[in-house]
Amino acid sequence: MKSITFLVVVACAGLLVGCGTTLPPTELVEARHAYQQASAGQAAKLVPAEVHKAKEALDLAEKSFLDDPKSFQTKDLAYVANRKAKLAEALAVTVAENAVAAKAAKELEKTQADIAAKAKADLAVEQKARVEADARLATAQADLAKLAAVKEEARGLVITLSGSVLFTSGKAELSNAAQTRLNQVAEALMMTKERKLTVEGHTDSQGSSSFNQELSQRRADVVRSYIISRGYPGDLIEARGIGEDRPVAANTSAEGRANNRRVEIIVAK
Amino acid sequence: MKHLNMAIMAGSVLIGALLAGCGSSPVLNKEPSTSAIRAAEEVGASTVPSASLYLQLAKEGLEKAKVLAAEGEKEQAASMLLRAEADGELAIALSRGEADKTEATKAIERVRQLRKDNQLPRERK
Repeated sequence: MKSITFLVVVACAGLLVGCGTTLPPTELVEARHAYQQASAGQAAKLVPAEVHKAKEALDLAEKSFLDDPKSFQTKDLAYVANRKAKLAEALAVTVAENAVAAKAAKELEKTQADIAAKAKADLAVEQKARVEADARLATAQADLAKLAAVKEEARGLVITLSGSVLFTSGKAELSNAAQTRLNQVAEALMMTKERKLTVEGHTDSQGSSSFNQELSQRRADVVRSYIISRGYPGDLIEARGIGEDRPVAANTSAEGRANNRRVEIIVAK
Repeated sequence: MKHLNMAIMAGSVLIGALLAGCGSSPVLNKEPSTSAIRAAEEVGASTVPSASLYLQLAKEGLEKAKVLAAEGEKEQAASMLLRAEADGELAIALSRGEADKTEATKAIERVRQLRKDNQLPRERK
């Protein structure tokens, strides 16, 4: 009885060893590996049903391997199992990318809302600044009107200072009285110091045209420098000598010539 | 009546046997694999590097199946068709995955550019 049992054990062991020597086909080895990858990666979380299908396909291949290790069915079933595992991974990528796209779409929506809110806020700030600037300009305009002739024109607000008040005849030096007057003008201009200014020098037609041109330029330069010295940004002020070319009155009378001798400060709109 | 029942039963058995006979030599169903290949081509698998290989394998599998069928190896042919179908389906999924990836990247880029153009701070992850 003992020897019979021993023989049976040996026979079973022999059979097991025999089975053990049958190596699985490459297709099955690859299918196992592919399934392992799919089940350990994001596919298990994102597409569990597809991973399950891959497992079922692998089980079929394993069963076929046990039944008939070298059959074409085993190889083909393993091949299909391999593809199903890869398919699960590919579908997981799709799900993940769709989630990314959905998140981006939400962000796009939020961004558009942010842009609209920012535009609204910017507009409010801009409107407030404009209202404040207009108020400052109105104040400056009122102050300037007390000091000089002020006129609204297409080119901007034109402040006209009489040349005889600012300069001695034929000279381009500011008198003390002129400086006092310009201090007051500069003070009013400082309220609008974000605006561009043009200082224009004008003369009457007495003397040569070239002399008048040169004199008007020097006077414009002097006024420009003085306003800058009072704190107005230099890069916003331009000086131009116009000479006798743009009279505002006839040069035939003393009064007309006095009106033509002037400095204009144009505050851009 | 008893005879009639016997005749009906015999007839049923005969028809059943004929049908079973037909089943042992089934017509090769190429439809699933050809459909998968066609669908893969339609989603542009041939232009997606990761998918084009599987599309090619699917086509080769289908051709091998045809050859096997012509040689009378119906079972092997049917099995080969399963390979072709699986390859075709994988090619479809990879093509769509690539397209989705491209779309997602574009969507992210649109948001980033929009925020940059409008001087908005970057969204926190």
